Amino acid sequence: MAKHEYLVLNRFTPGGGGGDKPSPEAMQKMFAAFKEWMKTHEDEIVDFGDKLVPGGRVLSDGGVAEGPWVESKEVVGGYMILTADSYERAVEIMQAMPGGKRPGVSFEIRELSGQTM
Amino acid sequence: MTADAPPPPRELVDHYFRHEHGRLVAVLVRRVGLQHVEAVEDAVQGAMMAALGAWARKGVPDEPGAWLYRVAHNELLDALRTERRRRRILDEASPAEEALAQPAAATFEDEVRDELLRMLFICCDERVPEASRLVLALKTLCGFSTSEIAARLFTSDANVYKRLARARARLGELAVDLSTPPLDALRARLPSVHAVIYLLFNEGYLSSRADQAIRVELCEEALRLGGLLAAHRVGASPQTAALMALMHLHAARLAARTDATGGLLLLQEQDRSRWDARHLREGARWLERSARGDAVTRYHAEAGIAAEHAFAPSFEATDWGAIAALYERLERVAPSPLHRLNRAVAVAERDGASAGLLLLDGRSPPGWLEGHYLWEAVLADLHRRAGDRGPAAAHRERALAAAPSEAVRALLRRRLA
Repeated sequence: MAKHEYLVLNRFTPGGGGGDKPSPEAMQKMFAAFKEWMKTHEDEIVDFGDKLVPGGRVLSDGGVAEGPWVESKEVVGGYMILTADSYERAVEIMQAMPGGKRPGVSFEIRELSGQTM
Repeated sequence: MTADAPPPPRELVDHYFRHEHGRLVAVLVRRVGLQHVEAVEDAVQGAMMAALGAWARKGVPDEPGAWLYRVAHNELLDALRTERRRRRILDEASPAEEALAQPAAATFEDEVRDELLRMLFICCDERVPEASRLVLALKTLCGFSTSEIAARLFTSDANVYKRLARARARLGELAVDLSTPPLDALRARLPSVHAVIYLLFNEGYLSSRADQAIRVELCEEALRLGGLLAAHRVGASPQTAALMALMHLHAARLAARTDATGGLLLLQEQDRSRWDARHLREGARWLERSARGDAVTRYHAEAGIAAEHAFAPSFEATDWGAIAALYERLERVAPSPLHRLNRAVAVAERDGASAGLLLLDGRSPPGWLEGHYLWEAVLADLHRRAGDRGPAAAHRERALAAAPSEAVRALLRRRLA
């Protein structure tokens, strides 16, 4: 089956985390699990991406503004690029990611068209 | 960064995050003051969360401690600023922010160790209730979460939270400013520090309820803090050495105390080849160091007793005379009906059950030991061996009824059959 590339945007609601915070020991276990997940999906993760620094610039026909600020309802916190043969598979990969299921955190998965803008 | 760039093979040692948590909290609290301890803990936690993603992507950095410190420092500064804005306090940086804004002095290994020890002494303030001191140490120095502490101390999250809040409030009242008491000025608090470390150890060692992994973990944390203390001039005393000896000698027997199904084993049933040789060696080394100086503390007596057991070639070859004498000494320096009880057991082994009973004759246990399974079980055993069947049966009943767990009950049934 033909492979497609998908952009995964990690969104979160600032301050909406809530939930019990993991202890250092739990985090170390998550770290090990996360590395394991990356190894398992080595061939499907095209780019591990990065976390985004809060704030930035928004360009529009109104000009250039600073933002988006954390006061926004939801902000993009990071991105990643996957390759998979279907949305189903891309969703599966993200569902298997340790530590991904947290209150206030969501992932938006979008197929890349392969055409330049 | 692409997937085909192999991450460096650096790995984190076991419990790295938990131990680093204690170090970072201690160093940052030192800079901004104890009143901000919760903000500090949040910042350290935030830094560790950030490390999860960054290190998984790029590999663990060369100096992970420095990385975490930098990120936690920035998070803390942000948090303090936000807090100030929220409270609409004058638009001036608070002293805590200013303290953070100062360029950090290079943090040397021994400096970090000093800060950890200082935190330990702060947690062991005698004016904080002892139960709270333990919880405070577990939270701040060992990096356990509230629910992890609750699971380890067999209490509710709410209870741990309450104890923690009480400890913090008390420290706040006392206006403990971490910058004022230099470590040397806290030396007088050493007995309380010993007591908290021993309490932590016993939570692991004596618990009949927790699973093996949790118990080993608590014992290891106690040994880690004790080792830190013993390595510093403020804590390096014969008492600290005796406590280390005692803990190592007990820890050596930890794994051999249970059978394959988790049932408890009596000393005479234990497979001595399963005793941990490394802990035995360490125990012997600390014992030797504890003998420098002429102070004899409860830890010396207890370490001596543990050593007699640990180095006896077999149960039958145990030197009960030496153990009875050590318990007598222990009773003198730390009077307790439990010590009397153990002394009676040793005397009974040496001179017969009646001689043991004589030591307990006319003694009624204090309220907290009244009807305690240990008290009842020893009386049942000694009466049985002395041939007093009536009292033996009565005490046996009471011991079985009071047993704290099924494992203990099974052991009592076997022993008192």
